[in-house]
Amino acid sequence: MRRKTALVLTTLLIGIACASAGCGASGGEKEAAGADSAGTKNAEAEDTAAQDTGEEDTKKKNITLTFGSHQSGLPSSGIVQQIAEEYEEKTGVRIDFQITPDAQWKDVLTTKISAGEAPDIFCSDSDPVALEDQLKPTLNCIPLTDEEWVSRIDPSVIPAVSVGEDVYAITFPGYKIYWYYYNKEIFENLGLTAPTNYEEFKHVCQTIKDAGIIPIYEAVQDGWHQQLPFYELGGYYNQLHEGLYDKLNNNEMKLTDIPEALTVLQQLKEFQQSGFYGEDFMSNSTSGDYKAIADGTYAMTLEGFGWEQSLAEQYPEMEGKIGIFTMPWADAQCIGTNPASNAYFISATSEYAEEAKEFFRYLATPEVLQQRLEGDPECIALCWPEIAPQYPQSYVDYLDSISSGTVMQAAVKYVGANWMDTGKDIAAMFADAMTPEEVLQSISDRRDEQALLMGDENWK
Amino acid sequence: MNEKKIYPWYFMTGAVLLFLMLFLIPSMMGIFYSFTDWNRYDDNVNFVGLKNFQKVFSGNSNYLLFIKNTLAFTVISTFVKTVLALALAILFTEKIKLANLHRAIAFAPQVMSMLVVGLVFKAMLHPSTGFLNIFLRAIGLEALTRDWLGSIDTAFGTIICVDVWKGVGYGMVIFIAGLQAIPKEYYEAAEIDGAGFWAKVGNVMIPFLLPTITVNIVLSISYGLRVFDIVYVLTNGGPGYATDVMNTVVFSEFSSGNYAMGSTVASLLALLTLAVSIAITRTANRKEVY
Repeated sequence: MRRKTALVLTTLLIGIACASAGCGASGGEKEAAGADSAGTKNAEAEDTAAQDTGEEDTKKKNITLTFGSHQSGLPSSGIVQQIAEEYEEKTGVRIDFQITPDAQWKDVLTTKISAGEAPDIFCSDSDPVALEDQLKPTLNCIPLTDEEWVSRIDPSVIPAVSVGEDVYAITFPGYKIYWYYYNKEIFENLGLTAPTNYEEFKHVCQTIKDAGIIPIYEAVQDGWHQQLPFYELGGYYNQLHEGLYDKLNNNEMKLTDIPEALTVLQQLKEFQQSGFYGEDFMSNSTSGDYKAIADGTYAMTLEGFGWEQSLAEQYPEMEGKIGIFTMPWADAQCIGTNPASNAYFISATSEYAEEAKEFFRYLATPEVLQQRLEGDPECIALCWPEIAPQYPQSYVDYLDSISSGTVMQAAVKYVGANWMDTGKDIAAMFADAMTPEEVLQSISDRRDEQALLMGDENWK
Repeated sequence: MNEKKIYPWYFMTGAVLLFLMLFLIPSMMGIFYSFTDWNRYDDNVNFVGLKNFQKVFSGNSNYLLFIKNTLAFTVISTFVKTVLALALAILFTEKIKLANLHRAIAFAPQVMSMLVVGLVFKAMLHPSTGFLNIFLRAIGLEALTRDWLGSIDTAFGTIICVDVWKGVGYGMVIFIAGLQAIPKEYYEAAEIDGAGFWAKVGNVMIPFLLPTITVNIVLSISYGLRVFDIVYVLTNGGPGYATDVMNTVVFSEFSSGNYAMGSTVASLLALLTLAVSIAITRTANRKEVY
């Protein structure tokens, strides 16, 4: 037994010794060969350098920045992903996009942030009145104030991505406007013109419905669309009631004190009951409106800047066939403008904050900004003055002919946080589970609740 | 009793410590936080007594609707899943061709990701472009077409149907294991006594299957009470709040920063699940036949 063990150990030792000798010999031969000529030495040095670079590349390629966003947070044309791929080719830093449906993103993001598992970069709405309440960027995000590109963004947008003096996000889209797009051919065939008040709007919809066409494409499934009329008309409410926004923010007035807000909800309900949204609106998603308008099933849709251009990109035959008019709910003739839009933040828990900042610097280069604008048909202007906007003249003329005001969610506290809940309230109203009065009360109560939760002095 | 055969108490300290750290303490903390105003916006946590519970049961909010929805989902889905799973198990333990293939097909939905199931069914159930309504129209049953997930009348039932489709295979597998454990002699004896199919089911199969039925029911109920993903991916609680259940509300409260309210609803749910599970297990154990 002992002999056997000794034999095995000896064999193993001999084997190990042979292997070491073999390796040594080969290394030695290399060295000897290398010593023979300086040229070979240089080549070796180059090899080593190349190996070092290779190792560095490999190191870089091991970095993946996670980028969380909702569907609407990134242009549907995929231009941001394309830019990220080009960035990866140049630097080796990979951007891993994690896209969540719109209706779930806010919940997912806040939960991830609370759990300390936020993506390295995440997309969220900028907010000029309650960014700190929404995201707590002072705790959850990396400040970007010292970045060179901050000075190149439109100064009017900076408050929407800042808390105090510090900037926490990079943002690209210009100010947002939602209005109705309509199929000009359908209007012309039926002898209709763009409505300028609620009664005209109703008449237009009834005429279109009588012609066998569904008047308006409404999309409740996404959860964020049906409440647009209620909040986007904030500028109009503010025109009618002097100092409204300040009074709402100081808790001197409630949302329930705005008669026009209730009127809008009642009119939305009336439209639904009249069948002006058709039968599928509760299951429709906003992305379906291109096809719906292009094939003539629907006549109108409520969409933001750039929708018409995107439609023409997908359905070239629709080019020049789309008209616009502002929302005439409650007889409003006021365009709601929103300086806040999607913005990209860097998580405070990110291991790769410096790499994420570098990616932002790349996104902010003039060439990439121009590439972004040209690659996203839905975006016709950036909030970067150095990049010329692409507004059609018809928009410029229309905007010059009508008054405008800041939308409620960009000026009133505790509104943005309840955006999706308001959508649920209005969906419940469409489903006959709530009355317009109950919806308004619910929105107002939730706002009060939020203010109390945040310890707002004006609510104590 | 030979005391040497009893293991010393400290043998269980590891298990007890793990149980305390991973289950009991977090659960107790959850219950504790439901008596506070813990939220994302304030670093101070103040004791508020029963305020959160009062809000749940006040009747002015939707919380009672969410509790009702959770209970309705649990009862209906448990009943349908158990009956269907048993029927499939009986069918697939009979001498039929390709029984294993049938079992695999019935079990397949169980292994599918809930997200995929949600996306597929949302597309299939769209009122105008979905497969179901197109099929119904094609066979002349247009009157039966509905906005399955968008209508307040059908959304809840549709979610239950999808859940049953996905979960029935799991129960079926448990029942098959139970059925195969019943000795054949009992069936033969019953046949000699002149028992037909239903008599064999009632007098042999069901009594022997009681423990398996209990397991299936307890699993279904605890899943039903904790249901979240299927609702989240199909309707996100809509239309309006019609299909919201307790866990979607917990998620919503946590994501809006109202941690205390989320903890309150979660604590209620945990207590409810515990009480129902204990009650069923005790009832079923009393009726076990050996």
